[in-house]
Amino acid sequence: MFSFDPYSPAVDADPFPYYKRLRDEQPCFWSPEAQMWVLSRYADIVSAGQDWPTYSSASGNLMTELPGRAGATLGSSDPPKHDRLRGLIQHAFMKRNLLALEEPIRAVAQEVFGQLKGAKSFDFKEVSSQFTVKVLMAALGLPMGDEAIVPEQEVRDNAVLMVQSDARTRAKGPEHIAAYNWVQDYASKVIAMRRAEPRNDLISNFALAEIDGDRLDDREVLLTTTTLIMAGVESLGGFMMMFAYNLATFDDARRAVVANPALLPDAIEESLRFNTSAQRFRRRLMKDVTLHGQTMKEGDFVCLAYGSGNRDERQYPNPDVYDITRKPRGHLGFGGGVHACLGTAIARLSVKIAFEEFHKVVPEYRRMADQLPWMPSSTFRSPLVLELAVQ
Amino acid sequence: MAHITFIEASGQSTTVNLADGWSLMQGATANGVDGILGECGGSCACATCHCYVDEARLGDLPPASAGELEMLENVAAERRPNSRLACQLKASAALEGLIVHLPETQE
Repeated sequence: MFSFDPYSPAVDADPFPYYKRLRDEQPCFWSPEAQMWVLSRYADIVSAGQDWPTYSSASGNLMTELPGRAGATLGSSDPPKHDRLRGLIQHAFMKRNLLALEEPIRAVAQEVFGQLKGAKSFDFKEVSSQFTVKVLMAALGLPMGDEAIVPEQEVRDNAVLMVQSDARTRAKGPEHIAAYNWVQDYASKVIAMRRAEPRNDLISNFALAEIDGDRLDDREVLLTTTTLIMAGVESLGGFMMMFAYNLATFDDARRAVVANPALLPDAIEESLRFNTSAQRFRRRLMKDVTLHGQTMKEGDFVCLAYGSGNRDERQYPNPDVYDITRKPRGHLGFGGGVHACLGTAIARLSVKIAFEEFHKVVPEYRRMADQLPWMPSSTFRSPLVLELAVQ
Repeated sequence: MAHITFIEASGQSTTVNLADGWSLMQGATANGVDGILGECGGSCACATCHCYVDEARLGDLPPASAGELEMLENVAAERRPNSRLACQLKASAALEGLIVHLPETQE
């Protein structure tokens, strides 16, 4: 009897064989373990993502939602509330408004990856996490350097822990809730600092924003800031791990992008399709929907398995091949529709710069372990450790 | 369903049959139409799915929202009275046969 349990360590390690069976045999599948429907075909996921009045995010979008978060963030609200929150933030994340960050990001990359000079082996997570936290702090305007209120590594550790879940209880454990509370507490201190002495940065502007004369309520400001830290640090860090994993695994692709860094953007897009870290999000039905002979009821939760849609042979020929010449248009690596990732431009820019600088120091490398420890998460997928040997 | 025809700046024409609710941006990027980028994924945040809608059909489309009008100020090619963002136009029977022209550049 086929089962698909998004909490299973086997799914953390390799969800793709499960996805293929879901797509081929049960494209609208009820998972008793997750207590939700699973949509796995590209076309069904795109349709659901476009139809936010039916597939609502207001009951939470993470597969295992954090307490009190639903309804107070961009990802966990529907239009028009979603649009007003997004309108306050998104100009800062537009490509042309990120140009000023390009040089600071490159300086961070040179500093962080420069540490690898002379190394024979290293855990890529050590460098990717340092890079990610510094970039996010600069982009969001979090206090850095002399102004810093916590060590950078604690931000990273807690942001990564809060997105995880317990495979046994299929819920958040106390350590995950503690990490979530830590990030909230950190966000609230930053918001207070910026309200007391506003600067021209994203969090200052957001914390003081008014829409039609109304200030955002404190919960919205706090949880949206918390989510920006979580999404920024965890998603960017997780994606960098997956990109390094792919390049360390596929020698031809690595040698091609090292020889010609202008190919990095295409390799990044193919990684977003092939095995992006954001594998699954959820929605809740606002009315009954019948699909592939199954009737999903109003109030039911539905998993949109982006990672499966990206491997759908109905959309991408030879989907299980990592092919950096593919140019996978329309992939779901950043989701889609009104909730498509806010950070697409800064993610693409940061990862490109990071790997340009990384490859200047370490142009040839391979994975040391065959089997990797995978993060326990029903939503995201990336290895916890990625030991690389310099060749 | 609606048949939508995309005509690229090169003259290349592609007609796709889109399911109701799919945005024209999703329909174009999923069907190999290169003249639409859709970098932000459809959240009306990048202005790289700029298109020119057949003027005779403008009345068949819902008017642009405030967010779309604001983002249209950022398009790379010339903005015209019939400029729209393809991520904000959803396929439905009302759009059957619609022709959209794509600009020479999106970025």
